[in-house]
Amino acid sequence: MLSFARYMMMRALQNMKGNLLPNITTIAIIGISMLIFSAFSLIAHNLTSFLKIWEKKIEVIAYLKKEIPLKEVEDLLLHVRSLEGVESVKYVSPLDAIAFMETKLGQQKNLLEGIQPDILPSSFEIRLHKDYRTSLKVQEVAAGLRRIPQFDDIQYGQEWVETFSAIVHILRITQWILGGLLLIGIVFIVSNTLQLTISSRRKEIEIMHLVGASPAFIQIPFYLEGMFQGLVGTGLALLFLFFLYYKLILYKFFFVYLTPSMKEWLAGISIAFLDWRTSAIILGVGTVLGLFGSFVASIRFLRYARVASQ
Amino acid sequence: MIEMNHVSKTYSTRIKALSDVTLKASTGEFLFIAGPSGSGKSTLLRILFCAERPDRGEVIANEICITRKGFRDVHRLRKTMGVILQDFHLLRDWTVGKNIAFALEITGHAGGGTKRKIEEVLNRVNLLQRLKDPIFSLSAGEQQRVAIARALVNDPPLLLADEPTGNLDRTMAHEVMEILADLNRRGTTIVFATHNMNLVQDYPYRVVHLLGGRVVPPPEHG
Repeated sequence: MLSFARYMMMRALQNMKGNLLPNITTIAIIGISMLIFSAFSLIAHNLTSFLKIWEKKIEVIAYLKKEIPLKEVEDLLLHVRSLEGVESVKYVSPLDAIAFMETKLGQQKNLLEGIQPDILPSSFEIRLHKDYRTSLKVQEVAAGLRRIPQFDDIQYGQEWVETFSAIVHILRITQWILGGLLLIGIVFIVSNTLQLTISSRRKEIEIMHLVGASPAFIQIPFYLEGMFQGLVGTGLALLFLFFLYYKLILYKFFFVYLTPSMKEWLAGISIAFLDWRTSAIILGVGTVLGLFGSFVASIRFLRYARVASQ
Repeated sequence: MIEMNHVSKTYSTRIKALSDVTLKASTGEFLFIAGPSGSGKSTLLRILFCAERPDRGEVIANEICITRKGFRDVHRLRKTMGVILQDFHLLRDWTVGKNIAFALEITGHAGGGTKRKIEEVLNRVNLLQRLKDPIFSLSAGEQQRVAIARALVNDPPLLLADEPTGNLDRTMAHEVMEILADLNRRGTTIVFATHNMNLVQDYPYRVVHLLGGRVVPPPEHG
């Protein structure tokens, strides 16, 4: 059994060696196709993670009307705390708001000089329960808050969340459509390369048929060749993507010309590479596509009676 | 060993290659299938080694009914028969030995004793001295003898030969015939298709004549 497997591998390698240029071209095309697919997966994966992280931090700010007396605030606070989905509520007075802005501005806090705190509205910072920190649920909570007459405005960055969700959604759809087209392309390319290999070994295959080689004996080296093309092409694509990712990380940390706020923003985003499970799935998909391409070629060109005809 | 009952074959171009052919070759027999070009000899042999399927009739080769619906074991059947064709079907850049070893390899018989088997069959076709020579350096007659050696290396009980002397001159054709006659004396059943009536007349074997895809009585001479 072991010698049979070794023999099949040897024949597959001989096939590849005999048709080196078409094989290299196929591996390169598979590599480029899988790189595009993997890059889309990586971007979509990170944006989804980013959205999830952002959703976890989601907070609703309810601005109080100016004329609301302080004594009403306590009752309102209790009422808001009792609403479904609300985990905690923090009252932010105009003075707190000014203090927060000063902290944020750091050395540039002198910009706030002369500004009276009472121009800022009081607000409630409402933290939601874990299950309510999604773009859909937060909308429900915000709608409930809007019905409370003491509030002037409710903000939770809705436009940003909706746009970001839409982008991630479009990216996912594009990934699958583009991925589907690329995958069909890979099957087509592998199948055509193997037709070249089969064609160059036509005489050998005819003799195999004539002498009585089993279909498995004839077909397995071509299946191995297709699998190898898929595996190597996809492996190289993942390696190259990792290289790009690594460079991007370096760029993120060492690019000194970024403004401090950009640096702070970039530092807050963690860009992750595809996890080992996703990478293994992509590698498996590439290998299976190579196998499928060789299977298509074998159905068309390695059937027993057809080649044996003379 | 071989039985064909009412076999007919028409190609898609409506050329009737075989019409209601019935024949039998017993174990150990040497049978000539003789007829001019286009008489259906090659189609008959191709049906016997499963390169074609008949439209009608029954074919039994080596006790296997190969016309059975859904017959898929073509490779198993071919392992039980040697096939020799007019154009040799050898890999020209490979050596004589490698061409024969390839037949052992692909039928799963390579391993211990391969060298001995190759030498033995090459000895039977008087080509042992050319073992390491590439095929392209051989004459047509020698190439056909290599093809015979390859067909024999797996010890098949049945040998199908389709115009094996078609590309050879008279002397070479007789050399090949002598080898096949010797094999037959050793017990191999041989079905030999040829258009060469002179060759047929030189040997004392039974002849089935084909003309226009039908079995016909022998032509009258004289």
